Amino acid sequence: MSLRTKSHPIAGTLAWLASLLMFFPIFWTVLASFKTELGAIATPPELIFRPTLENYTEILSRADYLSFAMNSIVVSFGSTILALVVAVPAAYAMAFYPTKRTRGTLLWMLSTKMLPSVGVLVPIYLFAITTNLLDTRTALVIMYMLMNLPIVIWMLYTFFKEMPKAIIEACLIDGASQWQTMTLVLLPLVLPGIASTALLNVILSWNEAFWSLNLTAHDAAPLTAFIASFSAPQGLFWAKLSAASTMAIAPILVFGWFSQRQLVRGLTFGAVK
Amino acid sequence: MSTTTATRAISHERASMRDKLQDWLPRLVLAPSFAVILLFVYGFILWTIYLSFTHSRMMPVYTLTGFDSYMRLFAQPSWWMALKNIAIFGVLYVAICIALGLTLAILLDQKIRGEGVLRPIYLYPMAVSFIVTGTAWKWFLNPGTGLEKTMQDWGWTSFHFDWLVNADMAIYTVVIAGVWQAAGFCMAMFLAGLRGIDGEIMKAAQIDGASTYATYRRIVIPALRPVFLSAFIVLTHMAIKSYDLVIALTGGGPGNATELPSTFMYSYTFTRNQMSVGASSAVIMLMTVAAIIVPYLYSELREKQR
Repeated sequence: MSLRTKSHPIAGTLAWLASLLMFFPIFWTVLASFKTELGAIATPPELIFRPTLENYTEILSRADYLSFAMNSIVVSFGSTILALVVAVPAAYAMAFYPTKRTRGTLLWMLSTKMLPSVGVLVPIYLFAITTNLLDTRTALVIMYMLMNLPIVIWMLYTFFKEMPKAIIEACLIDGASQWQTMTLVLLPLVLPGIASTALLNVILSWNEAFWSLNLTAHDAAPLTAFIASFSAPQGLFWAKLSAASTMAIAPILVFGWFSQRQLVRGLTFGAVK
Repeated sequence: MSTTTATRAISHERASMRDKLQDWLPRLVLAPSFAVILLFVYGFILWTIYLSFTHSRMMPVYTLTGFDSYMRLFAQPSWWMALKNIAIFGVLYVAICIALGLTLAILLDQKIRGEGVLRPIYLYPMAVSFIVTGTAWKWFLNPGTGLEKTMQDWGWTSFHFDWLVNADMAIYTVVIAGVWQAAGFCMAMFLAGLRGIDGEIMKAAQIDGASTYATYRRIVIPALRPVFLSAFIVLTHMAIKSYDLVIALTGGGPGNATELPSTFMYSYTFTRNQMSVGASSAVIMLMTVAAIIVPYLYSELREKQR
Protein backbone atom coordinates (compact mmCIF):
# COMPACT_ATOMS: atom_id res chain seq x y z
CA MET A 1 0.00 0.00 0.00
CA SER A 2 1.50 3.25 -1.07
CA LEU A 3 0.73 6.63 0.38
CA ARG A 4 1.22 8.34 -2.92
CA THR A 5 -1.57 9.77 -4.92
CA LYS A 6 0.59 10.90 -7.82
CA SER A 7 3.11 8.89 -9.78
CA HIS A 8 6.68 8.93 -8.63
CA PRO A 9 9.02 9.88 -11.51
CA ILE A 10 12.21 8.25 -10.13
CA ALA A 11 10.46 5.02 -9.16
CA GLY A 12 8.81 4.94 -12.55
CA THR A 13 12.09 5.39 -14.41
CA LEU A 14 13.82 2.71 -12.35
CA ALA A 15 10.95 0.27 -12.81
CA TRP A 16 10.96 0.80 -16.57
CA LEU A 17 14.76 0.38 -16.73
CA ALA A 18 14.44 -2.88 -14.82
CA SER A 19 11.79 -4.08 -17.25
CA LEU A 20 14.10 -3.39 -20.20
CA LEU A 21 16.76 -5.51 -18.54
CA MET A 22 14.26 -8.28 -17.88
CA PHE A 23 12.89 -8.25 -21.38
CA PHE A 24 16.29 -8.05 -23.06
CA PRO A 25 16.97 -11.79 -23.55
CA ILE A 26 13.53 -12.34 -25.04
CA PHE A 27 13.83 -9.22 -27.20
CA TRP A 28 17.26 -10.34 -28.35
CA THR A 29 16.02 -13.76 -29.36
CA VAL A 30 13.18 -12.23 -31.38
CA LEU A 31 15.59 -9.75 -32.97
CA ALA A 32 18.10 -12.44 -33.91
CA SER A 33 15.38 -14.48 -35.56
CA PHE A 34 15.02 -11.77 -38.22
CA LYS A 35 18.75 -11.57 -38.95
CA THR A 36 20.83 -13.58 -41.36
CA GLU A 37 23.06 -16.24 -39.81
CA LEU A 38 26.10 -14.03 -40.31
CA GLY A 39 24.30 -10.98 -38.98
CA ALA A 40 23.20 -12.84 -35.86
CA ILE A 41 26.76 -13.59 -34.78
CA ALA A 42 28.29 -10.30 -35.93
CA THR A 43 30.05 -8.24 -33.28
CA PRO A 44 29.43 -5.60 -32.29
CA PRO A 45 25.83 -6.77 -32.62
CA GLU A 46 23.80 -5.15 -35.35
CA LEU A 47 20.91 -3.12 -34.08
CA ILE A 48 19.93 -1.75 -37.45
CA PHE A 49 19.68 -4.36 -40.14
CA ARG A 50 17.48 -5.47 -42.98
CA PRO A 51 15.06 -7.97 -41.48
CA THR A 52 14.67 -11.28 -43.24
CA LEU A 53 12.11 -14.04 -42.94
CA GLU A 54 14.41 -16.71 -44.32
CA ASN A 55 14.93 -18.34 -40.91
CA TYR A 56 11.20 -18.78 -40.46
CA THR A 57 10.60 -20.16 -43.91
CA GLU A 58 13.48 -22.58 -43.50
CA ILE A 59 12.39 -23.76 -40.04
CA LEU A 60 8.80 -24.14 -41.14
CA SER A 61 9.80 -26.13 -44.20
CA ARG A 62 11.58 -28.69 -42.04
CA ALA A 63 9.29 -31.63 -41.53
CA ASP A 64 10.70 -32.39 -38.08
CA TYR A 65 9.98 -28.91 -36.75
CA LEU A 66 6.33 -29.37 -37.51
CA SER A 67 6.28 -32.73 -35.77
CA PHE A 68 7.92 -31.19 -32.65
CA ALA A 69 5.41 -28.36 -32.69
CA MET A 70 2.56 -30.82 -33.13
CA ASN A 71 3.84 -32.85 -30.17
CA SER A 72 3.90 -29.73 -28.02
CA ILE A 73 0.34 -28.83 -28.97
CA VAL A 74 -1.09 -32.32 -28.56
CA VAL A 75 0.71 -32.96 -25.29
CA SER A 76 -0.09 -29.67 -23.57
CA PHE A 77 -3.73 -29.60 -24.60
CA GLY A 78 -4.19 -33.34 -24.09
CA SER A 79 -2.80 -33.24 -20.58
CA THR A 80 -4.91 -30.19 -19.77
CA ILE A 81 -8.12 -31.91 -20.82
CA LEU A 82 -7.19 -35.05 -18.93
CA ALA A 83 -6.29 -33.05 -15.83
CA LEU A 84 -9.62 -31.23 -15.94
CA VAL A 85 -11.56 -34.48 -16.31
CA VAL A 86 -9.92 -35.84 -13.18
CA ALA A 87 -9.76 -32.60 -11.21
CA VAL A 88 -13.18 -31.00 -11.75
CA PRO A 89 -15.12 -33.71 -9.86
CA ALA A 90 -12.47 -33.87 -7.16
CA ALA A 91 -12.43 -30.12 -6.62
CA TYR A 92 -16.22 -30.04 -6.73
CA ALA A 93 -16.45 -32.67 -4.05
CA MET A 94 -13.96 -30.92 -1.80
CA ALA A 95 -15.51 -27.49 -2.23
CA PHE A 96 -19.13 -28.45 -1.70
CA TYR A 97 -18.85 -31.43 0.63
CA PRO A 98 -15.95 -30.45 2.84
CA THR A 99 -14.96 -32.72 5.69
CA LYS A 100 -12.59 -32.17 8.55
CA ARG A 101 -9.81 -33.54 6.43
CA THR A 102 -10.41 -31.53 3.24
CA ARG A 103 -7.87 -28.83 3.98
CA GLY A 104 -5.29 -31.36 5.02
CA THR A 105 -5.88 -33.37 1.84
CA LEU A 106 -5.48 -30.27 -0.31
CA LEU A 107 -2.27 -29.24 1.38
CA TRP A 108 -1.00 -32.79 1.10
CA MET A 109 -1.70 -32.81 -2.62
CA LEU A 110 -0.02 -29.44 -3.09
CA SER A 111 3.00 -30.52 -1.09
CA THR A 112 3.70 -33.33 -3.56
CA LYS A 113 4.18 -30.68 -6.25
CA MET A 114 7.10 -29.28 -4.30
CA LEU A 115 9.03 -32.54 -4.25
CA PRO A 116 11.88 -32.74 -6.77
CA SER A 117 10.99 -34.69 -9.90
CA VAL A 118 14.25 -36.64 -9.76
CA GLY A 119 12.78 -38.41 -6.73
CA VAL A 120 10.53 -40.43 -9.00
CA LEU A 121 12.55 -40.29 -12.22
CA VAL A 122 13.93 -43.82 -12.14
CA PRO A 123 10.64 -45.57 -11.29
CA ILE A 124 8.74 -43.54 -13.89
CA TYR A 125 11.38 -44.34 -16.47
CA LEU A 126 11.21 -48.05 -15.64
CA PHE A 127 7.43 -47.88 -15.63
CA ALA A 128 7.46 -46.26 -19.07
CA ILE A 129 9.74 -48.99 -20.40
CA THR A 130 7.62 -51.87 -19.08
CA THR A 131 4.41 -50.32 -20.39
CA ASN A 132 6.02 -49.52 -23.75
CA LEU A 133 5.25 -45.85 -23.29
CA LEU A 134 8.78 -44.50 -23.58
CA ASP A 135 8.98 -41.80 -26.25
CA THR A 136 5.23 -41.60 -26.75
CA ARG A 137 2.90 -38.65 -26.46
CA THR A 138 0.73 -40.72 -24.15
CA ALA A 139 3.53 -40.89 -21.59
CA LEU A 140 3.96 -37.12 -21.61
CA VAL A 141 0.21 -36.50 -21.46
CA ILE A 142 -0.02 -38.71 -18.36
CA MET A 143 3.12 -37.24 -16.77
CA TYR A 144 2.04 -33.63 -17.28
CA MET A 145 -1.41 -34.45 -15.98
CA LEU A 146 0.11 -35.95 -12.84
CA MET A 147 2.59 -33.14 -12.49
CA ASN A 148 -0.05 -30.40 -12.62
CA LEU A 149 -2.97 -32.24 -11.02
CA PRO A 150 -2.42 -30.86 -7.49
CA ILE A 151 -2.34 -27.27 -8.74
CA VAL A 152 -5.34 -27.79 -11.02
CA ILE A 153 -7.41 -29.33 -8.22
CA TRP A 154 -6.41 -26.62 -5.82
CA MET A 155 -7.15 -23.75 -8.21
CA LEU A 156 -10.51 -25.19 -9.20
CA TYR A 157 -11.26 -25.69 -5.53
CA THR A 158 -10.72 -22.01 -4.81
CA PHE A 159 -13.01 -21.08 -7.72
CA PHE A 160 -15.73 -23.49 -6.63
CA LYS A 161 -15.40 -22.26 -3.10
CA GLU A 162 -16.37 -18.76 -4.20
CA MET A 163 -19.70 -19.99 -5.56
CA PRO A 164 -22.61 -19.25 -3.24
CA LYS A 165 -23.88 -22.43 -1.64
CA ALA A 166 -27.46 -21.16 -1.70
CA ILE A 167 -27.62 -21.67 -5.46
CA ILE A 168 -26.96 -25.37 -5.14
CA GLU A 169 -29.42 -25.79 -2.32
CA ALA A 170 -32.06 -23.98 -4.35
CA CYS A 171 -31.48 -26.30 -7.30
CA LEU A 172 -31.64 -29.40 -5.17
CA ILE A 173 -34.83 -28.25 -3.47
CA ASP A 174 -36.37 -27.55 -6.86
CA GLY A 175 -35.77 -31.18 -7.69
CA ALA A 176 -32.66 -31.04 -9.83
CA SER A 177 -30.28 -33.96 -9.50
CA GLN A 178 -26.69 -33.58 -8.43
CA TRP A 179 -25.59 -34.12 -11.99
CA GLN A 180 -28.01 -31.52 -13.35
CA THR A 181 -26.97 -29.02 -10.70
CA MET A 182 -23.36 -29.53 -11.56
CA THR A 183 -23.58 -29.44 -15.34
CA LEU A 184 -26.41 -26.98 -15.93
CA VAL A 185 -25.99 -24.48 -13.13
CA LEU A 186 -22.50 -24.61 -11.68
CA LEU A 187 -20.44 -25.34 -14.73
CA PRO A 188 -21.46 -22.17 -16.59
CA LEU A 189 -20.75 -20.17 -13.45
CA VAL A 190 -17.28 -21.55 -12.93
CA LEU A 191 -16.35 -21.70 -16.60
CA PRO A 192 -14.10 -18.60 -16.40
CA GLY A 193 -12.26 -20.23 -13.49
CA ILE A 194 -11.89 -23.48 -15.38
CA ALA A 195 -10.64 -21.62 -18.45
CA SER A 196 -7.94 -19.76 -16.57
CA THR A 197 -6.87 -22.94 -14.78
CA ALA A 198 -6.66 -24.66 -18.16
CA LEU A 199 -4.56 -21.81 -19.52
CA LEU A 200 -2.10 -22.09 -16.65
CA ASN A 201 -1.89 -25.82 -17.22
CA VAL A 202 -1.18 -25.32 -20.92
CA ILE A 203 1.61 -22.85 -20.13
CA LEU A 204 3.22 -25.13 -17.55
CA SER A 205 3.03 -28.14 -19.87
CA TRP A 206 4.28 -26.18 -22.86
CA ASN A 207 7.38 -25.08 -20.93
CA GLU A 208 8.07 -28.36 -19.22
CA ALA A 209 11.59 -29.58 -19.86
CA PHE A 210 12.54 -32.21 -17.29
CA TRP A 211 10.17 -34.99 -18.31
CA SER A 212 10.21 -34.18 -21.98
CA LEU A 213 14.01 -34.41 -22.05
CA ASN A 214 14.08 -37.61 -20.04
CA LEU A 215 11.14 -39.54 -21.44
CA THR A 216 11.26 -38.72 -25.13
CA ALA A 217 13.78 -39.22 -27.89
CA HIS A 218 12.56 -38.42 -31.34
CA ASP A 219 8.97 -39.51 -31.87
CA ALA A 220 7.28 -37.64 -29.05
CA ALA A 221 9.78 -34.86 -28.35
CA PRO A 222 8.10 -31.45 -27.95
CA LEU A 223 9.59 -28.06 -28.83
CA THR A 224 11.53 -27.72 -25.57
CA ALA A 225 13.44 -30.92 -26.36
CA PHE A 226 13.98 -29.76 -29.94
CA ILE A 227 15.44 -26.43 -28.84
CA ALA A 228 17.56 -28.05 -26.13
CA SER A 229 19.05 -30.38 -28.74
CA PHE A 230 20.52 -27.41 -30.63
CA SER A 231 23.70 -27.22 -28.60
CA ALA A 232 25.57 -24.70 -30.69
CA PRO A 233 26.31 -21.64 -28.57
CA GLN A 234 28.38 -19.95 -31.25
CA GLY A 235 27.47 -22.26 -34.06
CA LEU A 236 26.08 -21.37 -37.41
CA PHE A 237 22.43 -21.86 -36.63
CA TRP A 238 21.88 -19.11 -34.15
CA ALA A 239 19.40 -17.19 -36.24
CA LYS A 240 17.42 -20.33 -37.07
CA LEU A 241 17.41 -21.41 -33.46
CA SER A 242 16.13 -17.95 -32.55
CA ALA A 243 13.35 -18.27 -35.10
CA ALA A 244 12.34 -21.65 -33.68
CA SER A 245 12.52 -20.20 -30.16
CA THR A 246 10.44 -17.18 -31.09
CA MET A 247 7.73 -19.39 -32.50
CA ALA A 248 7.86 -21.53 -29.36
CA ILE A 249 7.49 -18.59 -26.98
CA ALA A 250 5.04 -16.46 -28.99
CA PRO A 251 1.94 -18.28 -27.69
CA ILE A 252 3.26 -18.03 -24.13
CA LEU A 253 3.84 -14.30 -24.43
CA VAL A 254 0.19 -13.93 -25.43
CA PHE A 255 -1.24 -16.43 -22.92
CA GLY A 256 1.03 -15.13 -20.17
CA TRP A 257 -0.35 -11.63 -20.57
CA PHE A 258 -3.84 -12.87 -19.81
CA SER A 259 -3.04 -15.26 -17.02
CA GLN A 260 -0.51 -13.40 -14.88
CA ARG A 261 -2.55 -13.81 -11.74
CA GLN A 262 -3.09 -17.52 -12.27
CA LEU A 263 0.59 -17.96 -13.01
CA VAL A 264 1.65 -16.35 -9.75
CA ARG A 265 -1.09 -18.12 -7.86
CA GLY A 266 -0.23 -21.50 -9.28
CA LEU A 267 3.50 -21.19 -8.90
CA THR A 268 3.31 -20.02 -5.30
CA PHE A 269 0.94 -22.80 -4.26
CA GLY A 270 -1.69 -20.36 -3.16
CA ALA A 271 0.58 -18.17 -1.09
CA VAL A 272 -0.56 -15.29 -3.28
CA LYS A 273 -4.26 -14.94 -3.85
CA MET B 1 -53.80 -42.30 6.66
CA SER B 2 -51.83 -45.50 6.57
CA THR B 3 -51.10 -45.11 2.86
CA THR B 4 -49.57 -41.72 3.47
CA THR B 5 -47.35 -43.21 6.15
CA ALA B 6 -46.34 -45.94 3.72
CA THR B 7 -45.52 -43.49 0.95
CA ARG B 8 -43.69 -41.42 3.45
CA ALA B 9 -41.74 -44.46 4.53
CA ILE B 10 -40.90 -45.32 0.94
CA SER B 11 -39.90 -41.81 0.09
CA HIS B 12 -37.92 -41.73 3.28
CA GLU B 13 -36.12 -44.89 2.24
CA ARG B 14 -35.47 -43.44 -1.18
CA ALA B 15 -34.20 -40.29 0.45
CA SER B 16 -31.86 -42.21 2.67
CA MET B 17 -30.55 -44.10 -0.37
CA ARG B 18 -29.98 -40.79 -2.02
CA ASP B 19 -28.38 -39.46 1.12
CA LYS B 20 -26.02 -42.38 1.18
CA LEU B 21 -25.10 -41.82 -2.44
CA GLN B 22 -24.65 -38.15 -1.70
CA ASP B 23 -22.39 -39.10 1.14
CA TRP B 24 -20.32 -41.41 -0.94
CA LEU B 25 -20.23 -39.52 -4.20
CA PRO B 26 -17.80 -36.83 -3.02
CA ARG B 27 -15.41 -39.45 -1.76
CA LEU B 28 -15.85 -41.48 -4.91
CA VAL B 29 -14.94 -38.63 -7.25
CA LEU B 30 -12.01 -37.64 -5.10
CA ALA B 31 -10.68 -41.20 -5.05
CA PRO B 32 -8.96 -41.24 -8.48
CA SER B 33 -6.92 -38.11 -7.77
CA PHE B 34 -6.06 -39.39 -4.34
CA ALA B 35 -5.05 -42.83 -5.60
CA VAL B 36 -3.06 -41.48 -8.51
CA ILE B 37 -1.06 -39.09 -6.32
CA LEU B 38 -0.54 -41.76 -3.69
CA LEU B 39 0.76 -44.27 -6.22
CA PHE B 40 2.80 -42.04 -8.50
CA VAL B 41 4.32 -39.89 -5.79
CA TYR B 42 4.60 -41.94 -2.64
CA GLY B 43 4.66 -45.37 -4.26
CA PHE B 44 7.39 -44.32 -6.65
CA ILE B 45 9.36 -42.53 -3.96
CA LEU B 46 9.39 -45.79 -1.99
CA TRP B 47 10.59 -47.53 -5.15
CA THR B 48 13.41 -44.99 -5.46
CA ILE B 49 14.32 -45.49 -1.81
CA TYR B 50 14.39 -49.25 -2.33
CA LEU B 51 16.63 -48.90 -5.40
CA SER B 52 19.01 -46.71 -3.43
CA PHE B 53 19.73 -49.70 -1.17
CA THR B 54 20.68 -51.98 -4.07
CA HIS B 55 23.52 -52.26 -6.57
CA SER B 56 21.40 -51.36 -9.62
CA ARG B 57 23.46 -50.19 -12.54
CA MET B 58 21.91 -49.92 -15.98
CA MET B 59 18.86 -51.96 -15.06
CA PRO B 60 17.34 -52.35 -11.62
CA VAL B 61 18.28 -55.26 -9.39
CA TYR B 62 16.38 -55.93 -6.23
CA THR B 63 18.96 -57.48 -3.91
CA LEU B 64 19.46 -55.25 -0.91
CA THR B 65 23.02 -54.22 -0.22
CA GLY B 66 22.59 -51.75 2.62
CA PHE B 67 24.10 -48.30 2.54
CA ASP B 68 26.68 -49.18 -0.12
CA SER B 69 25.44 -46.78 -2.77
CA TYR B 70 25.26 -43.95 -0.22
CA MET B 71 28.91 -44.60 0.63
CA ARG B 72 29.77 -44.56 -3.05
CA LEU B 73 27.73 -41.40 -3.55
CA PHE B 74 29.60 -39.51 -0.85
CA ALA B 75 32.91 -40.79 -2.18
CA GLN B 76 32.23 -39.01 -5.51
CA PRO B 77 34.03 -35.66 -5.85
CA SER B 78 31.37 -34.56 -8.34
CA TRP B 79 28.61 -35.12 -5.75
CA TRP B 80 30.49 -32.86 -3.34
CA MET B 81 30.81 -30.39 -6.20
CA ALA B 82 27.05 -30.56 -6.72
CA LEU B 83 26.45 -29.99 -3.00
CA LYS B 84 28.83 -27.05 -2.92
CA ASN B 85 27.16 -25.58 -5.99
CA ILE B 86 23.63 -25.95 -4.67
CA ALA B 87 24.75 -24.24 -1.47
CA ILE B 88 26.23 -21.28 -3.38
CA PHE B 89 23.39 -21.17 -5.88
CA GLY B 90 20.62 -21.68 -3.33
CA VAL B 91 21.77 -19.01 -0.89
CA LEU B 92 22.51 -16.36 -3.52
CA TYR B 93 19.43 -17.15 -5.62
CA VAL B 94 17.01 -16.96 -2.70
CA ALA B 95 18.64 -13.90 -1.08
CA ILE B 96 19.02 -11.84 -4.27
CA CYS B 97 15.57 -12.75 -5.57
CA ILE B 98 13.94 -11.68 -2.33
CA ALA B 99 15.93 -8.43 -2.16
CA LEU B 100 15.27 -7.56 -5.81
CA GLY B 101 11.68 -8.74 -5.69
CA LEU B 102 10.94 -6.55 -2.68
CA THR B 103 12.68 -3.54 -4.24
CA LEU B 104 10.80 -3.90 -7.51
CA ALA B 105 7.52 -4.36 -5.67
CA ILE B 106 8.07 -1.18 -3.66
CA LEU B 107 8.96 0.68 -6.89
CA LEU B 108 5.88 -0.63 -8.63
CA ASP B 109 3.73 0.31 -5.68
CA GLN B 110 4.49 4.04 -6.12
CA LYS B 111 1.53 4.51 -8.47
CA ILE B 112 3.79 4.55 -11.48
CA ARG B 113 2.72 4.92 -15.08
CA GLY B 114 2.13 1.78 -17.08
CA GLU B 115 2.09 -0.67 -14.19
CA GLY B 116 -0.24 -2.92 -16.16
CA VAL B 117 2.42 -3.29 -18.85
CA LEU B 118 5.32 -3.70 -16.46
CA ARG B 119 3.81 -6.53 -14.43
CA PRO B 120 3.56 -9.06 -17.28
CA ILE B 121 7.03 -8.07 -18.53
CA TYR B 122 8.47 -8.84 -15.10
CA LEU B 123 6.70 -12.18 -15.16
CA TYR B 124 7.75 -13.20 -18.66
CA PRO B 125 11.13 -14.66 -17.66
CA MET B 126 9.24 -17.07 -15.43
CA ALA B 127 6.44 -17.73 -17.90
CA VAL B 128 8.78 -18.63 -20.74
CA SER B 129 10.81 -21.81 -20.59
CA PHE B 130 14.47 -21.25 -19.76
CA ILE B 131 15.33 -23.86 -22.36
CA VAL B 132 14.31 -21.18 -24.85
CA THR B 133 15.65 -18.02 -23.20
CA GLY B 134 18.84 -19.86 -22.21
CA THR B 135 20.19 -19.53 -25.75
CA ALA B 136 20.16 -15.73 -25.56
CA TRP B 137 21.91 -15.96 -22.21
CA LYS B 138 24.50 -18.30 -23.65
CA TRP B 139 25.18 -15.81 -26.43
CA PHE B 140 25.38 -12.92 -23.97
CA LEU B 141 27.68 -14.66 -21.48
CA ASN B 142 29.94 -16.35 -23.99
CA PRO B 143 33.21 -14.37 -24.18
CA GLY B 144 33.53 -15.05 -27.90
CA THR B 145 30.15 -13.66 -28.89
CA GLY B 146 28.44 -11.61 -26.23
CA LEU B 147 29.24 -8.93 -23.71
CA GLU B 148 33.02 -9.38 -23.64
CA LYS B 149 33.42 -9.37 -27.41
CA THR B 150 31.08 -6.41 -27.84
CA MET B 151 32.88 -4.33 -25.22
CA GLN B 152 36.25 -5.16 -26.78
CA ASP B 153 35.00 -4.30 -30.25
CA TRP B 154 33.78 -1.00 -28.93
CA GLY B 155 37.32 -0.23 -27.80
CA TRP B 156 37.41 -1.37 -24.17
CA THR B 157 40.08 -3.96 -24.93
CA SER B 158 40.91 -4.85 -21.35
CA PHE B 159 37.31 -5.80 -20.58
CA HIS B 160 37.02 -9.39 -19.41
CA PHE B 161 33.89 -11.34 -18.63
CA ASP B 162 34.51 -15.02 -19.08
CA TRP B 163 32.53 -16.47 -16.15
CA LEU B 164 30.66 -18.90 -18.38
CA VAL B 165 33.85 -20.74 -19.34
CA ASN B 166 35.72 -20.16 -16.10
CA ALA B 167 35.32 -23.17 -13.82
CA ASP B 168 35.57 -21.06 -10.64
CA MET B 169 32.98 -18.52 -11.75
CA ALA B 170 30.58 -20.51 -13.95
CA ILE B 171 28.15 -21.24 -11.11
CA TYR B 172 27.63 -17.50 -10.71
CA THR B 173 26.35 -17.26 -14.27
CA VAL B 174 23.71 -19.80 -13.26
CA VAL B 175 22.88 -17.53 -10.33
CA ILE B 176 22.55 -14.50 -12.63
CA ALA B 177 20.25 -16.33 -15.03
CA GLY B 178 18.25 -17.81 -12.14
CA VAL B 179 17.77 -14.41 -10.52
CA TRP B 180 16.74 -12.92 -13.84
CA GLN B 181 14.15 -15.66 -14.19
CA ALA B 182 12.62 -15.48 -10.72
CA ALA B 183 13.05 -11.87 -9.53
CA GLY B 184 9.92 -10.59 -11.29
CA PHE B 185 7.92 -13.51 -10.03
CA CYS B 186 9.13 -12.74 -6.52
CA MET B 187 8.12 -9.12 -7.13
CA ALA B 188 4.56 -10.29 -7.85
CA MET B 189 4.45 -12.07 -4.50
CA PHE B 190 5.63 -8.98 -2.61
CA LEU B 191 3.37 -6.65 -4.58
CA ALA B 192 0.35 -8.73 -3.61
CA GLY B 193 1.53 -8.48 -0.01
CA LEU B 194 2.05 -4.71 -0.21
CA ARG B 195 -1.42 -4.22 -1.65
CA GLY B 196 -2.83 -6.13 1.28
CA ILE B 197 -1.44 -3.73 3.90
CA ASP B 198 -3.97 -1.37 5.43
CA GLY B 199 -3.20 2.14 4.20
CA GLU B 200 -4.69 3.73 7.31
CA ILE B 201 -1.87 2.43 9.47
CA MET B 202 0.71 3.96 7.16
CA LYS B 203 -1.16 7.26 7.02
CA ALA B 204 -1.31 7.32 10.80
CA ALA B 205 2.42 6.71 11.00
CA GLN B 206 3.12 9.56 8.59
CA ILE B 207 0.87 11.92 10.51
CA ASP B 208 2.78 11.01 13.65
CA GLY B 209 5.90 12.19 11.83
CA ALA B 210 7.49 8.96 10.70
CA SER B 211 9.74 9.27 7.64
CA THR B 212 9.05 7.15 4.55
CA TYR B 213 12.09 5.03 5.36
CA ALA B 214 10.91 4.49 8.94
CA THR B 215 7.41 3.63 7.76
CA TYR B 216 8.75 0.94 5.46
CA ARG B 217 11.27 -0.31 7.98
CA ARG B 218 8.93 -0.46 11.00
CA ILE B 219 5.52 -1.07 9.48
CA VAL B 220 5.64 -2.37 5.92
CA ILE B 221 8.50 -4.88 6.17
CA PRO B 222 7.21 -6.45 9.42
CA ALA B 223 3.72 -6.69 7.90
CA LEU B 224 5.20 -8.60 4.97
CA ARG B 225 6.57 -11.36 7.18
CA PRO B 226 4.24 -14.06 5.80
CA VAL B 227 5.26 -13.09 2.25
CA PHE B 228 8.93 -13.41 3.17
CA LEU B 229 8.25 -16.86 4.52
CA SER B 230 6.34 -18.09 1.48
CA ALA B 231 8.84 -16.49 -0.91
CA PHE B 232 11.60 -18.29 0.96
CA ILE B 233 9.82 -21.64 0.75
CA VAL B 234 8.86 -21.29 -2.91
CA LEU B 235 12.31 -20.10 -3.99
CA THR B 236 14.18 -22.68 -1.94
CA HIS B 237 12.27 -25.57 -3.42
CA MET B 238 12.75 -24.09 -6.89
CA ALA B 239 16.49 -23.85 -6.26
CA ILE B 240 16.67 -27.50 -5.26
CA LYS B 241 14.60 -28.54 -8.27
CA SER B 242 16.64 -26.38 -10.71
CA TYR B 243 17.43 -28.42 -13.73
CA ASP B 244 16.80 -26.61 -17.00
CA LEU B 245 18.85 -23.58 -15.89
CA VAL B 246 22.00 -25.66 -15.87
CA ILE B 247 21.02 -27.85 -18.81
CA ALA B 248 20.34 -24.86 -21.05
CA LEU B 249 23.18 -22.64 -19.89
CA THR B 250 26.24 -24.72 -19.13
CA GLY B 251 25.26 -28.38 -19.43
CA GLY B 252 26.97 -28.84 -16.05
CA GLY B 253 30.32 -27.63 -17.36
CA PRO B 254 32.98 -26.54 -17.76
CA GLY B 255 34.00 -29.99 -16.50
CA ASN B 256 31.55 -30.51 -13.69
CA ALA B 257 31.87 -26.97 -12.35
CA THR B 258 28.14 -26.21 -12.49
CA GLU B 259 26.79 -29.65 -11.64
CA LEU B 260 23.74 -29.44 -9.38
CA PRO B 261 22.24 -32.39 -7.48
CA SER B 262 19.46 -32.77 -10.05
CA THR B 263 21.83 -32.85 -13.01
CA PHE B 264 24.16 -35.15 -11.05
CA MET B 265 21.24 -37.51 -10.45
CA TYR B 266 20.39 -37.53 -14.13
CA SER B 267 23.91 -38.13 -15.37
CA TYR B 268 24.68 -40.87 -12.84
CA THR B 269 21.48 -42.70 -13.61
CA PHE B 270 21.43 -42.49 -17.37
CA THR B 271 24.83 -41.66 -18.78
CA ARG B 272 27.03 -43.38 -16.22
CA ASN B 273 24.64 -46.25 -15.55
CA GLN B 274 24.91 -46.02 -11.77
CA MET B 275 21.21 -46.22 -11.07
CA SER B 276 21.52 -46.94 -7.35
CA VAL B 277 23.93 -44.03 -6.81
CA GLY B 278 21.54 -41.79 -8.71
CA ALA B 279 18.67 -43.08 -6.59
CA SER B 280 20.51 -42.38 -3.36
CA SER B 281 21.24 -38.81 -4.48
CA ALA B 282 17.52 -38.43 -5.24
CA VAL B 283 16.68 -39.67 -1.74
CA ILE B 284 19.01 -37.07 -0.21
CA MET B 285 17.29 -34.35 -2.25
CA LEU B 286 13.84 -35.58 -1.27
CA MET B 287 14.79 -35.50 2.39
CA THR B 288 16.13 -31.96 2.06
CA VAL B 289 12.93 -30.69 0.46
CA ALA B 290 10.81 -32.55 3.00
CA ALA B 291 12.79 -30.97 5.83
CA ILE B 292 11.79 -27.57 4.47
CA ILE B 293 8.18 -28.11 3.46
CA VAL B 294 6.90 -30.36 6.24
CA PRO B 295 7.28 -27.75 9.03
CA TYR B 296 5.85 -25.11 6.69
CA LEU B 297 2.77 -27.18 5.82
CA TYR B 298 2.31 -28.10 9.44
CA SER B 299 2.28 -24.47 10.51
CA GLU B 300 -0.04 -23.56 7.61
CA LEU B 301 -2.49 -26.24 8.67
CA ARG B 302 -2.47 -25.19 12.30
CA GLU B 303 -2.76 -21.52 11.53
CA LYS B 304 -5.81 -21.92 9.30
CA GLN B 305 -7.58 -24.19 11.75
CA ARG B 306 -7.32 -21.71 14.55
